[in-house]
Amino acid sequence: MKKFLLASVSMLAALGAGNAFACDPDYTGVELTATTQTGPYIASALQLAAKGWEEKTCGKVKVVEFPWSELYPKIVTSLTSGEDAFDVIAFAPAWAPDFTDFLSEMPAAMQKGEAWEDIAPVYREQLMVWNGKVLSQTMDGDAHTYSYRIDLFENADNQKAFKDKYGYDLAPPKTWKQYLDIAEFFNQPAKNLWGTAEAFRRGGQQFWFLFSHVAGYTSHPDNPGGMFFDPDTMDAQVNNPGWVRGLEEYIRASKLAPPNALNFSFGEVNAAFAGGQVAESIGWGDTGVIGADPKQSKVAGNVGSASLPGSDEIWNYKTKKWDKFDHVVQTSFMAFGGWQAAVPESSTKKEAAWNYIQYLTSPEVSGQAAITGGTGVNPYRISHTTNLDLWSKIFSPREAKEYLGAQKEAVTAKNIALDMRLPGYFSYTEILEIELSKALAGESTPQQALDSVAEQWNKLTDEFGRDKQLAAYRASMGLPKK
Amino acid sequence: MTRNDPIKHFFIWPALLIVLIISIFPLVYSLTTSFMSMRLVPPTPARFVGFGNYVELLSNPRFWHVAGTTTLIAFLSVGLQYVIGLSVALALNARVPGEGLFRFVFLLPMLVAPVAVALIARQVLNPTMGPLNEFMTFLGFPNLPFLTQTSWALGSIIVVEVWQWTPFVILMLLAGLQTLPEDVYEAAALENASAWQQFRDITFPMLLPVSVAVVFIRLIESYKIIDTVFVMTGGGPGISTETLTLFAYQEGFKKFNLGYTSALSFLFLIVITVIGMVYLAILRPYLEKHK
Amino acid sequence: MSARALTGSRRWLALAGCLVWFAFTLFPLYWAAVTSFKSPIGVVGGATYIPFVDFEPTMTAWYELFSGQRGGFYDTFTASMIVGLSASVAATAIGSMAAYALVRFTFRFRLLSALIFVVVAFGGFLLGRNVMGLGQGIALIYAFIAALALAVISSRFRLPGPELGNKDIVFWFVSQRMFPPIVAAFALYLMYTEVGKLGFKLVDSYIGLTFAYIAFSLPIVIWLMRDFFEALPVEVEEAAMVDNVPTWRIFFGIVLPMSKPGLIATFMITLAFVWNEFLFALFLTNSKWQTLPILVAGQNSQRGDEWWSISAAALVAIIPMMVMAGVLSRLMRSGLLLGAIK
Repeated sequence: MKKFLLASVSMLAALGAGNAFACDPDYTGVELTATTQTGPYIASALQLAAKGWEEKTCGKVKVVEFPWSELYPKIVTSLTSGEDAFDVIAFAPAWAPDFTDFLSEMPAAMQKGEAWEDIAPVYREQLMVWNGKVLSQTMDGDAHTYSYRIDLFENADNQKAFKDKYGYDLAPPKTWKQYLDIAEFFNQPAKNLWGTAEAFRRGGQQFWFLFSHVAGYTSHPDNPGGMFFDPDTMDAQVNNPGWVRGLEEYIRASKLAPPNALNFSFGEVNAAFAGGQVAESIGWGDTGVIGADPKQSKVAGNVGSASLPGSDEIWNYKTKKWDKFDHVVQTSFMAFGGWQAAVPESSTKKEAAWNYIQYLTSPEVSGQAAITGGTGVNPYRISHTTNLDLWSKIFSPREAKEYLGAQKEAVTAKNIALDMRLPGYFSYTEILEIELSKALAGESTPQQALDSVAEQWNKLTDEFGRDKQLAAYRASMGLPKK
Repeated sequence: MTRNDPIKHFFIWPALLIVLIISIFPLVYSLTTSFMSMRLVPPTPARFVGFGNYVELLSNPRFWHVAGTTTLIAFLSVGLQYVIGLSVALALNARVPGEGLFRFVFLLPMLVAPVAVALIARQVLNPTMGPLNEFMTFLGFPNLPFLTQTSWALGSIIVVEVWQWTPFVILMLLAGLQTLPEDVYEAAALENASAWQQFRDITFPMLLPVSVAVVFIRLIESYKIIDTVFVMTGGGPGISTETLTLFAYQEGFKKFNLGYTSALSFLFLIVITVIGMVYLAILRPYLEKHK
Repeated sequence: MSARALTGSRRWLALAGCLVWFAFTLFPLYWAAVTSFKSPIGVVGGATYIPFVDFEPTMTAWYELFSGQRGGFYDTFTASMIVGLSASVAATAIGSMAAYALVRFTFRFRLLSALIFVVVAFGGFLLGRNVMGLGQGIALIYAFIAALALAVISSRFRLPGPELGNKDIVFWFVSQRMFPPIVAAFALYLMYTEVGKLGFKLVDSYIGLTFAYIAFSLPIVIWLMRDFFEALPVEVEEAAMVDNVPTWRIFFGIVLPMSKPGLIATFMITLAFVWNEFLFALFLTNSKWQTLPILVAGQNSQRGDEWWSISAAALVAIIPMMVMAGVLSRLMRSGLLLGAIK
């Protein structure tokens, strides 16, 4: 017996030792510096992957974190000064146009195979690509979806009262008008319940919520890329009737929200939903995850998800008329786009860096990250959305089904609206934020506010160079060069 | 009394050199860039525009509005800080009961990072999850728009500033009070001067140099307020609570419009220098009188 | 008010006032302390105040903070301690010396000398960079040395133009703090990078960060200490001078002890400023010397205000400072030292 034990122990030891020497590929002595926003979101995904990668390749990864609003200036100053401080940067895709001159291209080997095909097409073919080159890897998926309170919607009294008042059944809304009706119905401040929660604060991710409202009215299936600018002339489209209607509804939503809603950032939206203060909300997938977690939410078990409402009327900017469709066109909006990981050209360890990124975003590692609360990784691979078991750890079966369904539809919908990505992004969005907050406070009408934005945007475009911006815009929308 | 001992150079040159080395390049760099139109992103080559940036700034109503807002916040909050600070310092110096504990606790707000103060303030002012609204509702004023309406937002920012920086005033004034000589008070007591008279004729004038210095520093520092506003309101609604440094931050670090930001920094510097010089000039005669 | 105790109604009025201010001061800190022990449920449902009564306390926020899930805690804490203390000590020492010199000695120089300095530095830099093709770092160093030399030499001659004295030097020092930090931080980063290209790594280094902090704290130290030194009775020093005591002995042996309250107050203020300083720390450091304010600011995250972790981070940043404040406020009590020396 003793001999047997001794033999097996030494065999195991040999195996263990043998494994420790198999660095594959071998990056011993290589230390990568990866940077992103302060954790836990995204940073913890990087750190978790770092641990696994270090074991696999004997390299080391140091994750440096900066506050979210300082991440952009930090990366820009580092890239433009030629400093090789960072080997891997995880950043918001909207910043990509400003970085593209400084990024290295993804190795061709990474651009084929099953793992590559598993990435949802909208990321693989549009978001990660710039001017025909793959410059970054999506490590997180982002789209806006809709959340609602199952208990409130399935309450028989509510259903009857709603049908009586509005004439149709209470259910997740298919159009924005229905969304507002529901919000109005549930806006009962006396019972500490309000209709909906969205972000309205300047600097609090407000404009993405506006974009979600607008996407349904301006993303004409026949006119791709026409949401923000005219893809032929680069004239700002932000003051067309589709936008005005979207803004009007966005403002109406702010009146059917909790009292301090005008100061809400997305964080407060999650808190409001999880605290049971609202009947519905739109936003990123985090609302669903936070709302379903009994440790963080008072409404766990009652979180329903669905796709964003759409519209059966879409503005055609070419004919300058509303086109009516016989069915509701559901438009998915890739709000924010999803964190990208890339390797600066100035890095001296590019090969190891791309290898790390490949590991980080591999189906297994990213799948695990997607269900680990706190990593901030939302589904972006087809495989993420099909494995129900993973998700049932936090969701109830019904919640999981609806949540994954909504996430999957968001990235595979027929009509997808991409978020805006342009050089000088912050200049454009600052103008929008300022005018938006004025409109929300009632200091200007929606049309006035949007006209002002359009005028200033056109000026900016001219200042930056209209042709350059046009080419960049077309690239960002996945349109071919003119 | 002034002397001419050669050792004076040894005393002053270390400080002079250090400050010169660190400050000269940023000064030169900013000055040069302020005369050029330079954007880092999208990368455009720098071109010389002379006073173009300055003209653009001065004719931009946003600049004036922002300067006005910052001045309002600075003066109001520093004024309050001084009045409250002086009162508290006097009380502490006069050995009010519990002085030791008070002294320690009153210093705390100054030691907290401004960003953290603003974040905590946001929590406290939150209408559905924060205590202040509960308290105000209890008093009969539900759902005050602390951060969503301009005048309230400005008020909230000022209150937060007062909370955080009054300790600075207390600390310096207390130190000043402790260096006041006893004999003058003893003489006054012999003449049966009332407490108020003692304050008005002895304490306040003797404290004047320290007061002037403290208020001056607080004023210049207040002009640089950014974290509080950024976290609490983001500068909104619109630009009604935006301050100069926040404006510069957006231009410089989000849009990387460096030429414009440098010009803004210089205008900013001029504004503060003018205010500083006016302030000192007004107070000089009083200081001379009491020397 | 004299140092004698208050009497009668005054006393109670003062006490009442202090209590109100005490409550106002302490409440947000109490709130932060309590919130740091809350779980999300204790936050989203509404305001809760007392642990165990209103909500179930948990250590999650603290655990996450110390385990580094929200930014590397131990490294930033150590960095802040080392940089903060050394910069404050150095700034207080160097600044007090300068302040004393400005109060007790006469300095005179011509405005023209100062202008020569600026022009030569500016011009020399541009010349070196654009015309002579030197690297930015080298051009700057040469220009600086040339400008300094010329300015000092020129002050030996009787130049035309207005004469500047102590007051103007002080004002110049203070004006360094008036300059908005945004462009200064960025420019300093560029300067450090340039010097880094010459071989001395200044970005993300102890020397680079501390040096910058000393330079930006000096104005405050000088401005504040100047008043304390002015308030000191000159007779004591004059008496010492009659005895032929050298200036530096006077300074270290007599002046400094007499101005202890001022020194301590100034040290504390400088430390508080450096400890909480954000912009320079952001630009001049990357991973090795990142300081606490960046960690705290990072809690203001995009995806949600997690109040519990914000509160924990904010409090942990304040605790060393509280200790410092406790120690120093005790030392300040002995302001009566002044009378003793007389």
